Amino acid sequence: MRLRFLTVWLALAVPAALGAQALTPRDSALHALNRLAYGPRPGEVDSVAGLGVMRWIERQLDFERVPDDRLAGRERAFKLLDYDRAELAQRYGDALRERREMQREMAQSGDTTRRRGAAAPMREFRQLGGELQQLAVVRAALSERQLREVMVDFWTNHFNVFVGKGADRFLTPSYIEETIRPNALGRFEDLLIATAKSPAMLFYLDNAQSVAPGVSPPRRQPRAPRGLNENYARELLELHTLGVDGGYTQQDVIAVARIFTGWGIDRPQQGAGFAFHEWAHDRGEKQVFGMRFRNDGVNEGIRLLKLLAAQHATMHHVSAKLCARFVSDEPPDGCVDAAVEAWHHTNGDIRAVLRAIFTAPDFWAPQALRAKVKTPLEFVVSAVRATGAEPDSTLRLAQVVTRLGQPLYLQPAPTGYPESQAQWVTSGALLSRMNAAVALAAGRMPGVRLDLDAIIPLTTHHAQLTDLVNARLLGGSMSAHTRSVILEQLADVNDPRQARTLAVGLALGGPEFQRQ
Amino acid sequence: MTISRRVFVKTSGLALFSLGLDPLFLARAVASYPPLPSLTVPDRPVLVCLFQRGAVDGLNMIVPHGEPLYYRERPRIAIPAKDVVDLDGHFGLHPSLAPLKDLWDNKSLAAIHAIGSPDATRSHFDAQDYMESGTPGVKSTSDGWLNRYCRHDQEHADTAFRAVAFGPQLPRILAGTSPALALDDLQAFGLRVPQEAARDKLTRAFEELYEGAATGLLASSSQEGFAAIDVLKRVNPAQYRPANGAAYPQGRFGRSLLQIAQLIKSDVGLEIAFADLGGWDTHVNQGSSDGQLATRLRELGLGLAAFNRDLGERMRSVVVLTMSEFGRTIAENGNSGTDHGHATAMLALGGPVNGGKVLGNWPGLGPADRFEGRDVAVTTDFRDLFGEILVRHLGATDLSVVFPGFTPAPSRFPGAVRG
Repeated sequence: MRLRFLTVWLALAVPAALGAQALTPRDSALHALNRLAYGPRPGEVDSVAGLGVMRWIERQLDFERVPDDRLAGRERAFKLLDYDRAELAQRYGDALRERREMQREMAQSGDTTRRRGAAAPMREFRQLGGELQQLAVVRAALSERQLREVMVDFWTNHFNVFVGKGADRFLTPSYIEETIRPNALGRFEDLLIATAKSPAMLFYLDNAQSVAPGVSPPRRQPRAPRGLNENYARELLELHTLGVDGGYTQQDVIAVARIFTGWGIDRPQQGAGFAFHEWAHDRGEKQVFGMRFRNDGVNEGIRLLKLLAAQHATMHHVSAKLCARFVSDEPPDGCVDAAVEAWHHTNGDIRAVLRAIFTAPDFWAPQALRAKVKTPLEFVVSAVRATGAEPDSTLRLAQVVTRLGQPLYLQPAPTGYPESQAQWVTSGALLSRMNAAVALAAGRMPGVRLDLDAIIPLTTHHAQLTDLVNARLLGGSMSAHTRSVILEQLADVNDPRQARTLAVGLALGGPEFQRQ
Repeated sequence: MTISRRVFVKTSGLALFSLGLDPLFLARAVASYPPLPSLTVPDRPVLVCLFQRGAVDGLNMIVPHGEPLYYRERPRIAIPAKDVVDLDGHFGLHPSLAPLKDLWDNKSLAAIHAIGSPDATRSHFDAQDYMESGTPGVKSTSDGWLNRYCRHDQEHADTAFRAVAFGPQLPRILAGTSPALALDDLQAFGLRVPQEAARDKLTRAFEELYEGAATGLLASSSQEGFAAIDVLKRVNPAQYRPANGAAYPQGRFGRSLLQIAQLIKSDVGLEIAFADLGGWDTHVNQGSSDGQLATRLRELGLGLAAFNRDLGERMRSVVVLTMSEFGRTIAENGNSGTDHGHATAMLALGGPVNGGKVLGNWPGLGPADRFEGRDVAVTTDFRDLFGEILVRHLGATDLSVVFPGFTPAPSRFPGAVRG
């Protein structure tokens, strides 16, 4: 009851509560759609403004109640979702064996002229890898649960793994489906524990290789791991939880690594799931931040993760990252403090933390509007959504995102992709975006079907055309300068189709659409 | 483009906006910030980095043919002494690299042996990452050492073409906040419209859009892009013909080298160029004087020789450096290949190079001299070589910002650049 009252109050009151600086309902709708979603679809600014932006935000937070049937229908085209981790592991193993066999044959026959071509199972496996990327793009473009997709992207990046590293080729799909997606709007602690136990992370940051010094496996293995590997421990503290200035020492890193010895992966034949290897565990006593950990097997790690999730430094580090995503690259203290406070009150309920950010004055401040430059993924998906285009189930739209500089799941560094614009805004990248915009406007963007007639009907009236482009594609954010340049360019274009292509291409490739 | 100018543009643009000045005024204001440095920078020192991805077998590239152990450990894949192109009686070139012998003789080619990372990893992924971030063992470094050099080096003005990587994405080594260009092909850079007139018109239109309505990095970066398009229009890559009859090998690598040579000769301010070539992960059927590795080395050798011939006199200010994430096992494996090892060999080529020498401390192949009993030991940290080239060739003054946590000391420099 109290929650419902709060919701209604928020829906009606928050934008108004901001007083003199209050945005118009359409401005706030556009802002919310740019940040909590991958930009508006045709007509969506009006519908969100009509519903009330805070009510729309509450619905997005309560995403389970938002029907998403159309996306569910589209997901059925992705074969990847039919296979579980064990099946993917087996297929990858088969593909590798087949390739080795082929190479051996080549070696024996002395035929060195043939290049190392991929055998059919390997090609098929690579196709599944492409599906993984395309699925992310299709979900971002089509899901009605936009905030959830944004948060899946956020956490996938926060808890980055690299699909190009060995076993992560077959471990990443289940990482997304079983580790990230179910926890994206849950409790941070659960998400942290899920990533720590995920085979994809255990492999990516080498914890599966980390064993107590001096021990060896009960059965002889050809390449048995030896000794401690600190990688996961270090990134857990520096990136996943406390942050680089979180006040830990190298001694803490070593102690954390010792606590996680034994956290490993089953063999692929056994499903490649999480396994705790008793023999590999360091049974000695460890001290982390002055807290003692006596030998307690796998429970030591769980206890440590819960402890880390409840540290103030963790709350601050992760909240600041969320605010960098939703508010601005260098977020003001106000929204970060509000997020941290909500975290304290709710023991890390991600929805509550997000709600605190979306109701913070900093989120609605005029300087936050259009303060962020879109990432390549955000640019491509927002352009597809703005034009009402429909991505197909081939891998081509994901390849556009790759060409614009953000190959999904292929960031090798555990930092994930940076949130700040400096990474994305380079001369070559901007030219690529202009090319992509013109291609989309001309109906030549690979991997999408586009019917512009439904959004921007053909007209010979250039001013009318430009106003439509502004209203439908830029949500009214077109500057007077942009308008005059587009009109100037249209001056000698008589063909209405050509005029529309040019106007749409310039608008989507121009500076306003690069911001959100 | 220096960082300070990027910041200036950003702040001045925002300030004007908040004053509520009209966009046309803003357009002029943005256009009137400090003028771009001249696009012509004659005879600037250039560093070309070539990454052999997959871990090249240093022992079959720069062959220790004077060591009987080399032949004992590699009965099927060792390069027979009669095929080795001898360099100094102890080491020699793989026969595929024979086109480089002249450069050795005229002292513009050096090899650095037993070089690598202090980190013991045998993962391609981790080792490449460390070699590009310049911070072995530290995974969270977000930028690459070449980018950090560009960012901190204030001596050299940024131009649109100061740092260029050939490939679809900016490689890790050039990632960071300093502007760097990634391009597949010079001819494809810019707006893709088939007709030249239509292309120029669209380019102008976007240029006007960004001049007037963009702020911050969007303004400065787009301006760099349009400046680069102007430069390329003048340079006209489609018309380029290599000089002195240089013939580059077919394929992406040869094409990248050709375009790097073209950029150098066009004086567009190129300082750092990067390209990579794969196929070095020779676990199976590596071959000896012929075969898999020989084919890859032939492309490398022909490419470097053509580059050197094409640039001619201009090589006096150019250093080409090859690198690879680690070497391979001393002993061949059961599949006539080699597995992941530790130290490898690198090549340095160019006028400033202290050539005609195999540099570095050779640890030997004896069982006691090996790393973990199986690999060539690392006696030169790769950062000492990279650091030497930055300091002695490009004139870097502060390596502590380029290689955080490491102090390359002149006393440890392998001596690849003539003093």
